[in-house]
Amino acid sequence: MRADLILIGVVGRPHGVRGLVHVHSYADDAAALETYKGLLDEKGREWSLRWRGSDGVAELRDAQGTPLSDRTAAQALVNTRLYVPRDVLPEPEEEEFYHTDLIGMEAREGACSLGQVVMVHDYGGGASLELTGGVLVPFTRACVPEIDPKGRVVTIVRPVEVSGEEGRGVGAAKVAGPAA
Amino acid sequence: MARSVWKGPFVDGYLLNKAEASRASGRNEVIKIWSRRSTILPQFVGLTFGVYNGQKFLPVQVTENMVGHKFGEFSPTRTFHGHGADKKSKRG
Repeated sequence: MRADLILIGVVGRPHGVRGLVHVHSYADDAAALETYKGLLDEKGREWSLRWRGSDGVAELRDAQGTPLSDRTAAQALVNTRLYVPRDVLPEPEEEEFYHTDLIGMEAREGACSLGQVVMVHDYGGGASLELTGGVLVPFTRACVPEIDPKGRVVTIVRPVEVSGEEGRGVGAAKVAGPAA
Repeated sequence: MARSVWKGPFVDGYLLNKAEASRASGRNEVIKIWSRRSTILPQFVGLTFGVYNGQKFLPVQVTENMVGHKFGEFSPTRTFHGHGADKKSKRG
């Protein structure tokens, strides 16, 4: 299987007798699956998808545009993984990066290697990169000044870590004035 | 039940000192904290805190939109990393 393929969904159980299937989308926005042309399965077959309703039911069509004929054909596709080539994903905005691009990049600080990016965390408080060995670096211009997608290298400037526990025991402070 | 307004927001006292010191230093710092219960105050905006989730100190870059929330909200203790095939993140 090609290395540039990204798992974007999995075919689930059949729906009804007219060849519809449930599809579990792994995309950020399930609707985007319709726009990705050339979904591929493990055997290299090409599929296109159209959502039917809002409960994850979809119609799959093969490369010739023929939909699945009946439930038996749909049953045969259960657990088929659907992939999309990396080039098909739309170009991200400026300063925006796909997690799949960042993961696996080599992290360097000056001349020294810090390992690889193993995970990208983003829980609403800004993204951060997790490097091999559990090192976490905020995904900011100050800490990640350079990203070379072609060379698969990110330049890291590790921030100074300050323990916030010093002086603990002073107790909780109540900030004057009512809450905003 | 919501916290009474007359009490003001709760924040562990040492955080205020740390934030002030970090801002004064002007360095690229991550302030490691365990206090997930503290409210994010306007004076924390622009600073980066490493909020402990029981395992790691997840970096949280405080922005204006986060004021009034608790630090713990941005450092989940149970994580489903998901598949995120086409997930994107912006460099802050």
